[in-house]
Amino acid sequence: MPDPADSTGSQLILDILSDEGVDVVFGYPGGAIMPLYDALHRHSIRHILTRHEQAASFAAGGYARATGRVGVCMATSGPGATNLITGLLDAQMDSVPVVAITGQVRTPLMGTDAFQEADVTSIAAAATKRSVCVRDVTDLERALRAAFRVARGPRPGPVLVDVPQDVLKAACPRFNAFAARPIAVANERPGDAALSEAVELIRRAERPVAIVGGGARSANATQMFRELCALLELPHTATINGLGCAAPHDPRFLGMLGMHGWKAANLAVNSADLVLALGMRFDDRVTGRPDKFARNAVVVHADIDASEFNKVIPVRVALRGDLRHTLAHLLQRLAELEHRPRFSGWAAQAKALGGPLPADRTPQGELSATEVLDAFFAVAPDDAIVTTDVGQHQMWAAQRARASHPRNFLTSAGLGAMGFGVPAAMGAQLAFPERTVVAIVGDGGFQMSLPELATIKRYALPVKILLVDNRRLGMVRQWQELFYERRYSATDLSDNPDFVTIARGYDLRAERIDDAGEIRDALERFLVAREPRLLHCACFPAENVWPLIPPGATVADAMECRPGENLESEAIPA
Amino acid sequence: MTLALVLHDWRLVERIVGLTNRLGCALTRLDLHLRDRLYHATIDVTGPPDALRRLDAQLTRLLNDDKEMSR
Ligand SMILES: Cc1ncc(C[n+]2csc(CCOP(=O)(O)OP(=O)(O)O)c2C)c(N)n1
Repeated sequence: MPDPADSTGSQLILDILSDEGVDVVFGYPGGAIMPLYDALHRHSIRHILTRHEQAASFAAGGYARATGRVGVCMATSGPGATNLITGLLDAQMDSVPVVAITGQVRTPLMGTDAFQEADVTSIAAAATKRSVCVRDVTDLERALRAAFRVARGPRPGPVLVDVPQDVLKAACPRFNAFAARPIAVANERPGDAALSEAVELIRRAERPVAIVGGGARSANATQMFRELCALLELPHTATINGLGCAAPHDPRFLGMLGMHGWKAANLAVNSADLVLALGMRFDDRVTGRPDKFARNAVVVHADIDASEFNKVIPVRVALRGDLRHTLAHLLQRLAELEHRPRFSGWAAQAKALGGPLPADRTPQGELSATEVLDAFFAVAPDDAIVTTDVGQHQMWAAQRARASHPRNFLTSAGLGAMGFGVPAAMGAQLAFPERTVVAIVGDGGFQMSLPELATIKRYALPVKILLVDNRRLGMVRQWQELFYERRYSATDLSDNPDFVTIARGYDLRAERIDDAGEIRDALERFLVAREPRLLHCACFPAENVWPLIPPGATVADAMECRPGENLESEAIPA
Repeated sequence: MTLALVLHDWRLVERIVGLTNRLGCALTRLDLHLRDRLYHATIDVTGPPDALRRLDAQLTRLLNDDKEMSR
């Protein structure tokens, strides 16, 4: 029997983290959480000191997105805790398993406006699945175990556990690893009647389209999804979080769906008579006007979270359950059909609905961002993990990425949080030290994460940063151009600092290109290096993302070039 | 709409109020009783039918997490 009080709350937390499989945590110390950092000093768990707590929560999210395991971040009370919030909300929006541990002022001081006191459980409540404060060390293990269970699922997400300093210091019995294994989440599956109805709708369909989303990533259902598409020769598209689910080079993959999606994908969904929505949630960036979305289709919606059914789009059949099980059951039933439908003809038609991606032609001598990204994706290794920041470069990357797995393309999709790309890449690189990890960032978002160059340097993380610098807050500039009569309010960044000098200041290798002729060689040097690198691409400021379905509009209103211009811009082959 | 909810953690009332407000609905009654270590809440909410449906679904999700969190 362990001594009844030979441990502390802090020690217990770290022992439980280890037992839950955590090998790395991202964080930043401060007064209230000092006891935990003191215990960490002697513990085998690796701590990564970011240079801002927001980067710690983004990095934990990047680690979790890349691995499927729970990412952990920690911060002190008050400002440390509030700085985590954006990363937690990002994890909430994209269903990413993260546990945040925050220090809190001592329990007798709580509610007195004590130094660095923040009611973080209330602040975090709307940004997490749950946020709890543990006021008694005897409740610490139960609360932390529950936090990991809830973070993992059934639908993953962030949980915050706030621990007052006196609880971190309190004596408690040593943790008994053997007695305290986590409980597995039940494998839920849809009912037989719903499955039969779904199969019947598929059997009768003439123009079905599958839309796969981030739920397939969470459920590890990629392979099953590919089998379904292959079995039925089904045309399919993906939300931004579902990118990588389609089998590489599958000709029936129509590209990304939505506001900046491929024309064929949007038109195919628009003319579909059946939509199979698999682990996706009909975000407004996907549907545009919901009353006009897939108007001719009945919808079969498979999701682990029943609150998603009929939330935005009316559903004929709801398949609630773990997507892997749902797809396994569907596959089995479809394979047993005497006359199994095949949709190869329709798949070819669907593909032909759209042409190549439209792109702006940049003036002679100017570097085109889309040209840089086309070249990058042409040479990036198949198993590279690509993160993006938020803005035009994110959409250009999402349109072009040919990720071989949904855990290889990581982006702040639901929240669209600038500053995500670099720290998320750090998290992914720590999970996979041997793999190529590239953060594609804009000059705006990069400047929200600049301090993390110090983290990259300290831990010698070979993260590559591909900076698409258009000297503008490009996405906002594009909208000002198109929807605000070219009133460019607060989007000019033409006085940007010298990014190469900045990177060198952190003792990182950096290179700048501003000519198309330099792209290939620069990318080769960039990708071959086994060390962190910045490739600063000084791009033309006014290149736009096309296609664009204006907000609240339909696929019929899709813009492929500036109003008044012809679509004679250089087309990039599909 | 009247909903009878069982909470393990009474602090979830904060989220119920927050979600109701977020969805553009209004809370017109909230009773909370502790019975057998569980909190039994009865709430009356008014609002557009779509919003009420979404609220109901999101509260169900919240209560599932609450149950798991209290284990
Ligand atoms: C934290 C945060 N603040 C503001 C925004 C709004 N926003 C969306 S895209 C964008 C421009 C991003 O500019 P940049 O990082 O240079 O990327 P680009 O669009 O030029 O590729 C802004 C300001 C946001 N998404 N996130």
